Amino acid sequence: MPDTPAIEVRGVTRLFESRKGFLFREHTRTEALRGVDLAVRSGSIYGLLGPNGAGKTTLVKILSTLLLPTSGSARVLGHDVVEDSEWLRPRIGLVLGGERGLYNRVSARDNLRYFADLYGIPGGEREARIAAVLERVDLLAAADRRVEEFSRGMKQKLHIARGILHRPEVLFLDEPTIGLDPKSARETRKLVRSLVSDGVTILLTTHYMFEAEELCPEIAVLSKGRIVAHDTVAGLRQLVGGDRTLEAEAYGFDDREVDAVRRLPGVSKVVSEEYGPRTRLTLRLRSLQTSPDDVAAALPGHSELSVRERRTSLEDVYLDLVEEEAH
Amino acid sequence: MTTVEVPRISRSRATSASLRLSFLMFMADPQWLIPSMIAPVVFGLVAFELFRGSGPYYLTYAILGAGMMSMWGQTLYGSGWAIGQDREFGTLEPTVQSPTPYVYVVLGRVLWNVISGLIGGGIVYLVVLAAAGSPPAVPDPVGFVVLFVFVMLTLASVGILFSAAWVYTRYSGFIQNVGEFAFYVGTGCMFPVVLLPFWTNPIALIFPPTWALDALRYLAIPGYVGFGWGFWPDIAGAVATTAIYVAIASTVFKRVELHVLSKGDLSDY
Ligand SMILES: Nc1ncnc2c1ncn2[C@@H]1O[C@H](COP(=O)(O)OP(=O)(O)OP(=O)(O)O)[C@@H](O)[C@H]1O
Ligand SMILES: [Mg+2]
Repeated sequence: MPDTPAIEVRGVTRLFESRKGFLFREHTRTEALRGVDLAVRSGSIYGLLGPNGAGKTTLVKILSTLLLPTSGSARVLGHDVVEDSEWLRPRIGLVLGGERGLYNRVSARDNLRYFADLYGIPGGEREARIAAVLERVDLLAAADRRVEEFSRGMKQKLHIARGILHRPEVLFLDEPTIGLDPKSARETRKLVRSLVSDGVTILLTTHYMFEAEELCPEIAVLSKGRIVAHDTVAGLRQLVGGDRTLEAEAYGFDDREVDAVRRLPGVSKVVSEEYGPRTRLTLRLRSLQTSPDDVAAALPGHSELSVRERRTSLEDVYLDLVEEEAH
Repeated sequence: MTTVEVPRISRSRATSASLRLSFLMFMADPQWLIPSMIAPVVFGLVAFELFRGSGPYYLTYAILGAGMMSMWGQTLYGSGWAIGQDREFGTLEPTVQSPTPYVYVVLGRVLWNVISGLIGGGIVYLVVLAAAGSPPAVPDPVGFVVLFVFVMLTLASVGILFSAAWVYTRYSGFIQNVGEFAFYVGTGCMFPVVLLPFWTNPIALIFPPTWALDALRYLAIPGYVGFGWGFWPDIAGAVATTAIYVAIASTVFKRVELHVLSKGDLSDY
């Protein structure tokens, strides 16, 4: 069955109920997921994009058998994440990342030895596999240092090393580059790509649109527990206002000028942002009718005005989607 | 969908990995053993003074009581603490997410605590010995050692069950404190059970170490009067209760896991 998706989510909801206080009990209910549907092809990398609290981690935990859905169902490798968790656990990997989740007082190697044993990696292969995986994440030189001495980026790499040590078929990466400097983040993305070429199916969550754009042919945008869009990168760009974005920058615009720009033909949206003394108007265009020159003409009397056209980035699309949801 | 073969999980290897990790973590920070030794050492010295001159085996008695106190404290506190620590470190999630049933990881942690409790017991022994000036009389040293290990295993079974509470909720300190007190008094590790009011006996009997310890006293202290039924029934009782604890623990852990997966607070601390 080559067509069966590696990950298949149907109508998954998740409700968190918590009680606080002893005498005066306070109930809080959070609907972290409100009916999520998703399908990820085997051997592909799928991006799950969403702002804080959108429900990304919740979904990843459900798919990796760490959390039960309140309703709906999810299958990974054709197996139900609740019913068949025993079958799934050795075949999936989870990288939650962050400062926690590692034994800080022992070395990186001992952390991996422990998890290698929990995953039943054959004793004879263990040391070689650990060395190979440490090499792959570029931690071999620090293998015998205590994890508490590690930088954030090194810890993140160790998290990934643990996640791939048992060679999972499906890997869940929850914000794998959060808190990394640009160089480490780039290395991490390179590593992610190399895993895909090994045939691993990856579901990756991120806040960074460019990261999703760079890594993931297909993307879903999650907002307040719902998927508000899922498509290819090109498809997502089309989804909101076509493919054109114009930016006009000068030392301040008044409301009348912003209105004038908004009334230009084909303009679907104008966002105004301050950059120090300068203001930038970002225009989203649904048609080719308006050119940069037209915009300049609508903003007369600014000696320092610059207008340029740029490619609509996924970030523009993403912000639109998440904002629309917020209204 | 084609899926690759996955290795079979070896429970004993998982348990020894967990034991090894506990040992490594202990070696990284070994001084915490000291505070947990103060009470048993003081108790050992008091018992020594109290029973001094009351027969040739008073020393064994004092050492056994204090040693057990140390071992029990270490097992109970240590087991809860190990899981509390996993919560704190955020390592409970990846551990539970691994294919090894969590109870085997806990078993490794508990075994380490029993071993560190044994180290504590050894320290008590040395201190009381230094105070007494001569080694205690033990009629059957080999049997004593065998039975001692047995007592430790019965202790481990209790430790496992208690640690389930820590997986269940992060608010288990209360259970822990009550459990410790009930154990000290109930099992007669401080006083022989027969000295306690009769109503406490049924409570004492639900702890496997009560039986094992009673058997140990029969062996180590000639003339000891414990439970009326004597040495072998004590052993049988210990085996049976330990088996029940282990059986309960494995189902309890399954349920506890389901509970935490539905609540979703594995990473809270
Ligand atoms: N264990 C929990 N108990 C109660 N509420 C929770 C719990 N875990 C998550 N939530 C709530 O569920 C919602 C979704 O959280 P989740 O962590 O899935 O978001 P996220 O998309 O991963 O956010 P971030 O980008 O900040 O990591 C949030 O409102 C959060 O407060
Ligand atoms: Mg998250």
